[in-house]
Amino acid sequence: MILQFIVNGIISGSIYGLISIGFTLIYRTIKFFHFAHGVVYTVGAYFAYTLLILLNFHFIPSFILSVTFTSFLGISIEKLVYTPLRRKNASNLILLLASFGVFIFLQNLIQLIYGAQILTIKTGPIKEGHHFLGAVITDIQIIILVVSIILMILLWLFIQQTKLGKAMRAVADDPMAANVIGINPEKIILTSFAIGSALAGAAGILISFETNIEPTMGFNALLKGIIASIIGGIGSIPGAVLGGFFLGLVENLGIWKISAGWKDSIAFGILIIFLLIRPWGILGVKTEKETI
Amino acid sequence: MEYLLHILAISGIYIVLTLSLNLIVGFTGLPALGHAAFSCIGAYTSSLLALNCGMSPWFGLIIGACVAALSGIIIGYPAVRIKGDYLALATFGLGIIIYSIAKNWISLTRGPLGLPGIPGFSIFNFQLSSILAYLLLVLAFVWITIVVMNRIVNSPFGRILRSIREDEIASETLGKNTTKHKLLVFIIGAFFAGIAGSLYAHYITFIDPSSFTVTESITILLMVIFGGMGSISGSIVGAVVLVVLPELLRFLGMPSSIAAPMRQMIYGLLLVILMLKRPQGIMGVYRFK
Repeated sequence: MILQFIVNGIISGSIYGLISIGFTLIYRTIKFFHFAHGVVYTVGAYFAYTLLILLNFHFIPSFILSVTFTSFLGISIEKLVYTPLRRKNASNLILLLASFGVFIFLQNLIQLIYGAQILTIKTGPIKEGHHFLGAVITDIQIIILVVSIILMILLWLFIQQTKLGKAMRAVADDPMAANVIGINPEKIILTSFAIGSALAGAAGILISFETNIEPTMGFNALLKGIIASIIGGIGSIPGAVLGGFFLGLVENLGIWKISAGWKDSIAFGILIIFLLIRPWGILGVKTEKETI
Repeated sequence: MEYLLHILAISGIYIVLTLSLNLIVGFTGLPALGHAAFSCIGAYTSSLLALNCGMSPWFGLIIGACVAALSGIIIGYPAVRIKGDYLALATFGLGIIIYSIAKNWISLTRGPLGLPGIPGFSIFNFQLSSILAYLLLVLAFVWITIVVMNRIVNSPFGRILRSIREDEIASETLGKNTTKHKLLVFIIGAFFAGIAGSLYAHYITFIDPSSFTVTESITILLMVIFGGMGSISGSIVGAVVLVVLPELLRFLGMPSSIAAPMRQMIYGLLLVILMLKRPQGIMGVYRFK
């Protein structure tokens, strides 16, 4: 029984991890909570639904098209809302509230277009899952896990090995110094938005095969992503992955021991405990700035 | 006519909520994103007392407000130790926790089914059933709230709040216990939000957790910012305008399946535009630092 909850925890942890990495990637360069990240995830799921169900596309092209679309959505949010705000030297809280506005606007736009009801992406007959040491795992869950891990590894290689990845790390560490040696911060910010939003879109598409989609789905996913990034250590990419899996496991063990309704309370309980005791997270480093 | 009075009564309840949040957000500069949680606690306490113990709504209102104030201590205690964005996130989380308690403690709150048949207010066996009478009651509470808020912000206590907003370290240097003051602000804000919640519950006679979501908290915050951060008259304007504005959609003949998301879209867009053009609001004196 416990093994089943661990498996479920790892599956939801991989989705949380994907959202959280995207969120972290963006946070590292702009240093505020980009709440609209959650609605990018929802848009990913709905765009995939439109292509797969309404237009009868195949899986691979609709995945690629949806991810591209969410990537452009992320860039447009940055260009239309955050760039003008940053030019005015707006504070983090103002940026946070603006991103909230974007979130509410887009979520309700989706509701206006597709309706508030639950939609499903039906992909063939329901098969019985594989038995694995007493736990059941379905094909779709295996796909989710494999695709997320591949995306995480690709991102890691990109950040560590490529020139652009190095520039992104440089901007994350010290934007001023990076600017001095000729890295254009605007370009790096746009790249982070493109990659981060693509990851959120990918997470949205993956989850839409596992569960139903609804306009409000992004809210919860966003919160879990943020919580995962904070408990992992805000700004740290391995921390985001670790935080995602940690949150997924704790939540599912909580469901097992308490009840499914308290899932969100458990997640926020963990967040508040972390904020009070270890605000720099599991892997983060305690600095003057992050001491709160 | 009844419809107009109803809109005014709802605006009145929102004025109380907006003023109490403005004390926390606009006058003290603490970004609190979970204000609906306090009105949730006030509403549920007073409704449950009326339904299960047959208590008069008058006592229910006072006890509800006190329980909300108590929760202000519990929520404020961790919250005032956290700063800036993280405070916003923590209050947000606490708002969600209160919401999910209302939704999941089914034996007490009946969960998503909500509590129907909440009795209305009565004065000496005379039931306040007409909307006009109810509107007058709400206006009385609005008046009390305005007077109290005015007294608070113009007192030495209010000056300390503004000094915390402008420069917390400086006011600490002057020997002010800022943590204590921030906690007190949370308690006062929660008390008035509790009153508003209870007024709402006994007016609509039905409550369920969906009236107290985080989106609701954001709506109240939007009213504060729109009217003006740190301005009492601004809060009144903000609440009235943002309650009335979406109602106009009904006159355009939109069905509620379109009007409801439209209303939220307007709020979202308004929040973005305000942040871009005028982050302190129409009559505001302060913008988030």
